[in-house]
Amino acid sequence: MTQETIVIQEKEPLLQVRNIVKTFGIVKALSDVSFDLYPGEILGLIGENGSGKSTVSSIIAGMQKADSGEIFFQGKPWSASSMVDALDKGIGMIVQETGTIPGISVAENVFLGEIERFRVSHFPFAPLNKKKMNQEAEKILSLVDLHDISGSLMTGALDFVTRKLIEIAKVISKNPSIMIVDETSTALNQTGRQTLYRLMKEYRNAGKAVIFISHDLDEVIEQCDRLIVLRDGHFIQDLPKKDFSEDGIKKLMVGRSVAGDYYRSDYDGSFDPEVVMELKDASIPGSLDHVSLQIHKGEILGISGLSHCGMHTLGKVLFGARQLSDGEYLLHGKTVKNEANAMREKVGYVAKDRDTESLNLNASVSDNIAIAGLNSFSRGNFLVLYPDEKKYVNEQIDELQIKCFDRSQFVSTLSGGNKQKVVFGKWVGCGSEILILDCPTRGVDIGVKQFMYHIMYQLKKEGKTLVLISEELPELLGMSDRLIVMKDGKIQKEFPRSKDLRDVDVINYMI
Amino acid sequence: METAKKTQEERGAGFRRYKTKNLVIELLPIIVLALLFAIYMTVITIRGYKMELQLTRLFNQAIVLVTVATGATFIYALGSFDISLGASVLFACTMGVLTYNATSSVALLLLVIVACGVGCSLLSASLATFFKIPPFVTTVAMMSVLSAIATTLININNTSGGTASITLPLNLLDPISSVWIKALIAGAFILLCVFVFNFTKVGRRIKFLGGNPTCAKLSGIPASVYTIIAFGIAGLGVGIGALLTLAYTPSVSSGTAGSIGMNIFVAIVFGGMPISGGAKSKIYASLIGGFSYMLLNQILLWLIGTSMNGVAQIISAALFLLIVFLTSLNYRTRLLPR
Ligand SMILES: Nc1ncnc2c1ncn2[C@@H]1O[C@H](COP(=O)(O)OP(=O)(O)OP(=O)(O)O)[C@@H](O)[C@H]1O
Ligand SMILES: [Mg+2]
Repeated sequence: MTQETIVIQEKEPLLQVRNIVKTFGIVKALSDVSFDLYPGEILGLIGENGSGKSTVSSIIAGMQKADSGEIFFQGKPWSASSMVDALDKGIGMIVQETGTIPGISVAENVFLGEIERFRVSHFPFAPLNKKKMNQEAEKILSLVDLHDISGSLMTGALDFVTRKLIEIAKVISKNPSIMIVDETSTALNQTGRQTLYRLMKEYRNAGKAVIFISHDLDEVIEQCDRLIVLRDGHFIQDLPKKDFSEDGIKKLMVGRSVAGDYYRSDYDGSFDPEVVMELKDASIPGSLDHVSLQIHKGEILGISGLSHCGMHTLGKVLFGARQLSDGEYLLHGKTVKNEANAMREKVGYVAKDRDTESLNLNASVSDNIAIAGLNSFSRGNFLVLYPDEKKYVNEQIDELQIKCFDRSQFVSTLSGGNKQKVVFGKWVGCGSEILILDCPTRGVDIGVKQFMYHIMYQLKKEGKTLVLISEELPELLGMSDRLIVMKDGKIQKEFPRSKDLRDVDVINYMI
Repeated sequence: METAKKTQEERGAGFRRYKTKNLVIELLPIIVLALLFAIYMTVITIRGYKMELQLTRLFNQAIVLVTVATGATFIYALGSFDISLGASVLFACTMGVLTYNATSSVALLLLVIVACGVGCSLLSASLATFFKIPPFVTTVAMMSVLSAIATTLININNTSGGTASITLPLNLLDPISSVWIKALIAGAFILLCVFVFNFTKVGRRIKFLGGNPTCAKLSGIPASVYTIIAFGIAGLGVGIGALLTLAYTPSVSSGTAGSIGMNIFVAIVFGGMPISGGAKSKIYASLIGGFSYMLLNQILLWLIGTSMNGVAQIISAALFLLIVFLTSLNYRTRLLPR
């Protein structure tokens, strides 16, 4: 079969993946996966959460070894001992979560593993020429349109999007022949995405290749030349561009047709007049600039903007995780000093930076889901019993179809989308009356996304309040009763729910 | 259909193998304990030592360690460390003896001992919270201060001719010096710890906090409150440990409980608890590890003898490293940031 494909494609494949098998304990993450990657193409790798996309790409990128199977790169057997090694040899990968180290400078991250180059002399402990290193790093950062980031900045102090862009810059500065982009676009903002698309096209035009992983079908259809579908670790289909259709792809991914409404179908943007949260002239230097806002019972408030517009900080303020330097925030008429205060008022918060802020990676699915719900299932608000916990957690696992072998599986070993489901389950399960959701559907596959939207709508109808902060306009337009646009820490514009609202109308106020 | 069934079966077998492997790793500390105990009994039998005498001695040595270590597990679960525990026990003993000798009140003696244990521990935690520094740092300072105060007090009130020491009336604590009463006291405390650690919100939150403080904060768990609770429980353990120490030997010198600080650490690790704390923390680690460690020391002492004490220490250190390595193997699989 492969012979035939090669003849049809007429070109030598750049990368050949043959019969890859990978198991983790009892989980068969990949069974017999084979595909080719040709020069000059952007290959989309799609499939449900936990279908094996990250696993196969990480094997290609040298992060882990397959149990069996072979890989050929430029016709020769390929093996890499680490990601750095793979990048040196021509295959680079941008990982799904943060791939930068927070405790070192931006320049050190960019030149991770090759700091030696910048020693003033050849002695092993000679001082570094920091100035040169920073300058070169800044040059590399401009490749991803990051023009105002100094190489000497501490990486941990930067926001999520910028860190992601730094990671991209680091990979492309090495000029690999193959770039693997794992679920990166949802971590980026609009401009970041445009930068990424531009880079991918440059790769295609230069006769290199890109493996692109995403759950955003519009993006996949638009950017990719060909698609490979995985399901439960099995290769399902190889789809050429001419056969791309949204419904067809959905069906291939999920294994059944995805019917019904994706977002809510009504355009009734009404809600209870009762104000549950109120900001008066709220300010935090550099993030929020005199924001006044009332949020109501039974309302889905959408918040959009570019990543530095202050919307993520706003989410933290609403949960009591950031204090205002000026102005006032009232939750049910009371001031909020910390997260525990907010939780007492039944507020839940899904943070954007999943692995550090929303999850305890080295703990089980059960630990993570139960921690926010202790108040609701403990007896006498004190006693935590095993059967109660089991019932509570298993309900969330079933509802959200979290792919784990049982609730004792450590969250660090779940696939990206399944981790996100754990976070969602943690806050929805505990009966939050108010949910602050910062990019809640990031990395989640379409089937589950649809389900999450359904739950959100259900919660709204039950009179709960949702604040949906997102970089994805379609979901904001699709779900919000009211949509506010933020820019430079200010509220720029407010839109009521309407059938006629188009994304361009909103974008105009964002930039 | 055929293949689906096969994968089911494959998965079944794989799942069993996986569970078995996990179970073995979980039970490893107990297996080690049983093994050491078997060797210990063998030596006693072969050499014809008095069994009851030996067992009582082992128990008396281990029980203080186990009690203090069980309380300290709460601190370790937080991913923190308290180096002042040994000094706290010494301090509590000293204050207890001085109180009794001044007032002749056993009730006051008990009160002061427990209050000193809890007080010192809470002070470390509160200072750390107040100055926003890791609690470990304050315990280092605490250790020096406490042992200095205790040593000074012992020297001032010295009653013996040789090494400076202070003493309770010889038979005062006889009512609680029997093995069974001691086991009851320590057992009650350990049960309390097991209960709080495994079956209450407090225990769950402390473990969560140890795993990821940032996420814990955003899950409404204030680090300061739970650090203070953890240290408070550890302090109670110190108080009870001090009481058990006095019940064993009524005289206190500056060397009392000297080695306990380090032994707690070793014991907890021997019991299979990860040094970093978090979700894998086990409350039974101190119980199992405490006895294992004491058994090991005794066996090495017998087999190698006091003259070659250094060799025994090297062997025990090597074993310690081996265990740390083995337990860390379990969760050191390379994971990708996904
Ligand atoms: N170290 C590990 N231990 C156990 N299971 C693992 C490990 N790594 C991956 N898995 C499992 O392998 C399967 C495939 O995971 P993978 O991350 O490749 O999925 P994915 O297709 O990238 O999903 P997503 O869209 O959610 O990112 C999942 O079920 C995951 O839980
Ligand atoms: Mg993935």
